[in-house]
Amino acid sequence: MRVLVVEDEIRMAENIARSLREGASYAVDIATDGVEGLYMAQSEPYDAVLLDLMLPRLDGLELLKKLRNTKQHTPVLVLTAREEKESVVALLNAGADDYLTKPFDLGELLARTKALIRRGKGQPSPVLTVGDVEINTSNRTVRRAGKNISLTAMEYRVLEYLAHRPGAIVSKEELLEHLYDYNWEKFSNVIEVYISGLRRKLNNGRQLIQTLRGQGYMLQ
Amino acid sequence: MNTPAKSIKRHLILTVVLSQLLLAAGLVFTGVFYTQRRLEAALDTDLEARAMSVAALVRYAEDGSHSLVFEKSLVPPPLDTVHPDFYQIQKGSLELTRSGHWPSNLTFNNTGLKAYRSLTISGIPYRALFLRQIPILDREEAPPSSADTLTVVYATPTVALHNQVLAAGAYIAVASLIWLGLTVLLALWGIRRGLLPLKHLAAEAAQVSAQNWELRAPPDAEQVAELRPLTEAMETMLNRLRQSFMQQREFLANAAHELKTPAAILKSTLQSLLQKPRTAPEYEAGLAQALDDMERLEKLLHWMLRLARAEQWTQAALPRELEGIDVAGTCEEAISGLRSLARSRKVELHLTTNSNVVCRADPEDLELVWVNLLENAIRYSPPGATVEIQVSRDNGSGTVVVEDHGPGIPEKDLPHIFERFRRADPSRTRETGGFGLGLAIAKALVEAYGGTITPESTLGRGTRMTVTLPTQQN
Repeated sequence: MRVLVVEDEIRMAENIARSLREGASYAVDIATDGVEGLYMAQSEPYDAVLLDLMLPRLDGLELLKKLRNTKQHTPVLVLTAREEKESVVALLNAGADDYLTKPFDLGELLARTKALIRRGKGQPSPVLTVGDVEINTSNRTVRRAGKNISLTAMEYRVLEYLAHRPGAIVSKEELLEHLYDYNWEKFSNVIEVYISGLRRKLNNGRQLIQTLRGQGYMLQ
Repeated sequence: MNTPAKSIKRHLILTVVLSQLLLAAGLVFTGVFYTQRRLEAALDTDLEARAMSVAALVRYAEDGSHSLVFEKSLVPPPLDTVHPDFYQIQKGSLELTRSGHWPSNLTFNNTGLKAYRSLTISGIPYRALFLRQIPILDREEAPPSSADTLTVVYATPTVALHNQVLAAGAYIAVASLIWLGLTVLLALWGIRRGLLPLKHLAAEAAQVSAQNWELRAPPDAEQVAELRPLTEAMETMLNRLRQSFMQQREFLANAAHELKTPAAILKSTLQSLLQKPRTAPEYEAGLAQALDDMERLEKLLHWMLRLARAEQWTQAALPRELEGIDVAGTCEEAISGLRSLARSRKVELHLTTNSNVVCRADPEDLELVWVNLLENAIRYSPPGATVEIQVSRDNGSGTVVVEDHGPGIPEKDLPHIFERFRRADPSRTRETGGFGLGLAIAKALVEAYGGTITPESTLGRGTRMTVTLPTQQN
């Protein structure tokens, strides 16, 4: 999963990003003003946007309205220092999916972001099940037929993304776009390394991940 | 409601009653005095008539002896049989007659022709008249060329007179008391009615609260001349209270709001540090970051307290005793504190002092003003540029100009640069890491000391902040 954090307080943004990377294995990008944030949100396929309201150049609320006007359905979690009912109503009406008031708990931010992404992908439960594989997104554990399977952070990222779209063909490009942040060099063969790793670890006779040559991967 | 310690109503009623009592007493006294004087005058006239009529009963004997006789049988019977009149008639030192029980001690030293005396005979008050040289009326038997005259003393009891005076006094007193009662009732009614607007006003004033600052003076209270200054004073007081209340509330809201950001940063730093077990150097780095965040929070708190104090000073809510301080000195202090920042940005700070400017201010406040202005100027200056600070004096005011050669501020943003939370240019503010509060603080502090701060800016050429401060007058 890839998340955009739009927050002008660098330290805050870095803390959030660190938490999302370490606590959810997400790829995280940071935008420090409204204009940059809007540009990034529109040009990259984020799975969620965490949006601060008080932003230079373009106010968070305006950014949100502009984003929704371009039919972008990315889930948006607003971080606000305001608590007044009116602004909350305005936020939700402008297309925000959830909000958190500063100062917030990073754990709560993490949980809400996960839930937001889950709902955005049509998955109501934090435990994703594909065949006999269970992926618990809240504590990032993977079991196959009741047996714990230990994965690297990147392997987990790939599996979690595929598990959110069971039965669908996910292209290598899509995986690259959703699993890496802006600063990473995107080598397509890196994905293949993780896929083969996953196959090896999850192998118990029946192969879960299928490769459709020239099209991508499918988990089922 | 407690009984008030001092009641206007009671006070007014007491005044009315006392003045009425005084009036009644005066009336009674005057009435009694007048009645007594009138009755005494009438009695005196009567006394003389009676004395003369008794004297008329003296005549010469018919035997030609020219001796005088008194026709006692012709004396009319006394009106008051219990306290009869007394009389004594003498010719020279020869006593012709006297009534029974004539007190022997009754003497007149007086030598005039006519004299009145009030006296007491066996406990009864009497009025006595002494007449000399009364001619004898009987001329038939009088010897030729006779010049005999009589001396008459006549006394009559004044018991009846005193009773009459007392009756008149009692009558006046009773009548006065009845009138007094009536006027007190009237006064009570009047006072109650007169104080009614005050009651209404109090009821209206009781409605005033932090939610409802409006004091609508009731129409009857507005029509009362004595209450008008009170309602006006209450309205001005309420306005002042509301203003400072609103200011406090706004400050509280702003303060809470502005503290949230650094508090949220600090919290997130600590939470992300605790998210998973880390190595000692990682913890160390995290704690250093937290300390950094804490210092930012602390600085903001310090600024906000200064600002709160400055704003209270503007409202003259805090007393202050300030000494005259050298403005250029505070500039130097600010500059020396910013040297390292200036050096790291390769910006030159240049102070020019044309004259000695002395202001009444807290030096720390002025220093904070210069620090905020200079910090802004330094951060927006390109490397190698100079920030100029000029201290000069006009008549009555000192001027400090802080000028940078940075990119300048767009004209549309100029009016907003002093608003808290405003960050005119994002490309700058990200680097400043400020809270958008520095300029707001500078402005509030300058205004707290009765000064002004004026920004001027030309895009591409730089920004010029002109601060004027009233100089010390003495």
